[in-house]
Amino acid sequence: MRAPPRDRARFVISGLGAVSAYGWGVDALWNGLLSGRTAIGTLGCFAGEGHRTDVSAEVGDPPAGLAERYPGWDELSRAERFALVAVDEAVGQAGGPDGGRAALIGDAPELVGVFFGGSTAGMVESEEVFRPSGEISEGDRLRAHELRMLASQPLDVPAATVARHLGAAGTVVTVSSACASGTQALGVALDALRAGEVEVAVVGGADSLCRLTYAGFNSLRVVDERACRPFRAGRAGMTLGEGAGVVVIEPEERALDRIGARGGRIFASLLGVGNSCDAHHMTAPHPEGLGAALAVERALRDAGLPADVSTLAFLNAHGTGTPLNDLSEWRGVASVFGSDASRVPLTATKASVGHLLGSSGAIEAVVTALSLDRATVPPTPWAEEPGETVDPETPGRLVLGEALRIDFPDGGAEENRGSVALSTSFGFGGANAAAAFGRVVPRPASRHGADP
Amino acid sequence: LSEHEPRGPGSPRLVITGLGAIGPWGAGRDALASALTGSRTFLEPFGSSGPSERLLGFRSLGLTAGEGAGWTGRADDASYAAWVPARAARRMSRPSRMAVAAARMALAEAGLANAGSAGGDGEPLPPDFEGAEAAREAMAEAAVVLSTAYGPSSVTEELEEQILLRNPEAASPFLFAESVANAPAAQVARLTGARGANLTMTAREAGTLMAVRQAAGELEAGRSAAALAGTVDEITPVLQVILDRFGSLARGRRAGEAPTPRPFDRRRSGFVTGEGATVAVLETPETARRRGREPLAKIAGSAGAFDPTAPRHGWGTGHWMLGRTLRRTLERAGVAPTGIDLIVSGASGSIPGDRLEALTLRAAWEEAPLPPVVAPKAVTGELGGTQLAVAVLALAGAPFGPTPGFRAVDPELGVEPWSDRSGGSFPRPVRRVLVTSLTPSGTAAFLVLEHPAP
Repeated sequence: MRAPPRDRARFVISGLGAVSAYGWGVDALWNGLLSGRTAIGTLGCFAGEGHRTDVSAEVGDPPAGLAERYPGWDELSRAERFALVAVDEAVGQAGGPDGGRAALIGDAPELVGVFFGGSTAGMVESEEVFRPSGEISEGDRLRAHELRMLASQPLDVPAATVARHLGAAGTVVTVSSACASGTQALGVALDALRAGEVEVAVVGGADSLCRLTYAGFNSLRVVDERACRPFRAGRAGMTLGEGAGVVVIEPEERALDRIGARGGRIFASLLGVGNSCDAHHMTAPHPEGLGAALAVERALRDAGLPADVSTLAFLNAHGTGTPLNDLSEWRGVASVFGSDASRVPLTATKASVGHLLGSSGAIEAVVTALSLDRATVPPTPWAEEPGETVDPETPGRLVLGEALRIDFPDGGAEENRGSVALSTSFGFGGANAAAAFGRVVPRPASRHGADP
Repeated sequence: LSEHEPRGPGSPRLVITGLGAIGPWGAGRDALASALTGSRTFLEPFGSSGPSERLLGFRSLGLTAGEGAGWTGRADDASYAAWVPARAARRMSRPSRMAVAAARMALAEAGLANAGSAGGDGEPLPPDFEGAEAAREAMAEAAVVLSTAYGPSSVTEELEEQILLRNPEAASPFLFAESVANAPAAQVARLTGARGANLTMTAREAGTLMAVRQAAGELEAGRSAAALAGTVDEITPVLQVILDRFGSLARGRRAGEAPTPRPFDRRRSGFVTGEGATVAVLETPETARRRGREPLAKIAGSAGAFDPTAPRHGWGTGHWMLGRTLRRTLERAGVAPTGIDLIVSGASGSIPGDRLEALTLRAAWEEAPLPPVVAPKAVTGELGGTQLAVAVLALAGAPFGPTPGFRAVDPELGVEPWSDRSGGSFPRPVRRVLVTSLTPSGTAAFLVLEHPAP
């Protein structure tokens, strides 16, 4: 039913964009991660409303002048703002320094697709309409600006806003499988690229904090009263965050052709994605990590790689910081790689930027691609916390305190032998996903531009 | 882990072997087939059954039952209750129950579960089931890909009411777990043991076709041998009010009179809401043959598209671009426009939406005359994914009654919905059906189904 599949073409990441509690942009994210200090702080956006906890990883105001670049900024939800800024950063990188969007999309907008993962869209804006102290009182009719706020609530709005902004006319879809959404969106995009349905996939996710998720996770008693500490012995729950992550993915030959003419950079390749379902419980993970293991195995198989630890450079784990989730995840990983799993460097982005829910897989894809590109695994904060990692029998090699420099075999080779990174995402309902990213050998300087 | 061979060019088409459907018209294919001939829209006023009027949006937004916008097509919970194990149903939201019921109907027809004995225990398969080995193998790695336009709205609204009008500590963990968009897909997997990919997609009304498309991708890539694909949505007062405030809904001619959607009619004033669930079982033809199952339909092609001319709150005008994508979809499917026997249109009565639909079809067909077009949303209402079920029924020879409310062709559109009572050259059997789904967000999707006979 689809076009003939590409003959094992390689699909590369040629643009990255991010908005996080560290700030607006990939540089802010990367520098924040390398600092080893968490961006998690005190809840601000709806503090004082009676929530059980008061920590979050909140995005601050945009830098001066940024909002003015976007007509109608005030009418956009936070999630849409995050999405547009991250997309423009990623597309600007991919398209080269001169008019990135036009260079990337060219004259075939129907071959440009947008694949987003998300959980909340404009939920917080809708809450503002419905709050007792909000602008609607009993019997009032909705006014125009309230309608606009409500119109941002459907989950597909950020992706549609991005597609409209780019002028994309290919497949536009939002995956909303709870916290697995962002990584699943990578898989949907990879399918579309392999099938030749799209030539450019703008993949990502954007979510904002809202009362429903904040109170909801607190109702489950899975939120740490402090900042989350994934995989640590004393971990006590997750911390919610917000922001966006976006990657531009395209066939390698297409990227190289454009980079040769206009500059740009390839950060990593997306080798494969695996999905699974626990089919077990709505909120609790499978105790032995069955679904997690299936997702990792399927991602490696999709990438054509062996389930061998020597393949891996590092694992960017889902790592929410809840006692059950981290244990289940690690048991799943250990069931795939055996005791060798202890040799794999392990990092957990959520300890730094919080849990972006449906968009977490997207921002973690950005981090994973950057880590491969820069041969550096960012540390997980809280090095001073006592206690070993999650499972004493198979301890994880958690990167703590300082970044880990990766010595790639042969100076950084192809998509095997220690040059592959895994990123995992697991969600409510037992939806699991894992993505395998590959190190791309740096090409001569004439074909690659400078760092973003 | 087993591994299925990826399917390359020239592989036989994927097949649909089971179908479950729930809507305002009832549950199951017979009820739907009957509804399609009845020439009536299934509507009732809010408050006559179903959700209470206490929900915060309903109250604070000032809607009162009986207004034109106070009408909806509501699925009768009793019509599908027997398909959901009673114990499990108590831990599910209404959308989850509808999705599980539709999935179990589909699996029963496909011979992939014992759900045929309505009210069963929810276990995937009894040990002595005929063809159990092949069925078990297919289900162990079966994918579940569902879509939803608006998610589990009723539990979300109830949860927000707890948080916003009482206090955040009043939030119910059960409601929160069921408020996530993928709760229905997760419940389907939990009750069927499907451990393949479990995805929930949102693309408004186009989500149903996008879900079928993604599920087909799972099979083509060799990741699963079977997949459940479809959609579930419910209508709540808050959602109804918001749609009304955007001017999307059809109005009755007089106060208190039920609205009429009138797709393609020059007097159309908007759409009517419906709800429900539609789930199909997709398989590779090899798997179906090995289990001795007769397909209901073959999947010939599909595509997603986006109309970037769509404003943030309304329909676009990019029919030429959508038409180009539709034409390419047909080419990829190996089907000429003249090879389509019937179009199951997503037209709903929306003034700009039906216009975009008609002009998109005309752009794809260019100078050639359109084949017969039916617009089942006039019967079923918007949402619930019934179009997919209607297309499968059409391939099985189901007749179509007159489109409710249609009286006069809109000359700009030039499309008159077909019915078996209006005469004309309707080919039987229908060999190929095009399903279209355009949305006000700009998202669009197309699906081509073929008759299962060689």
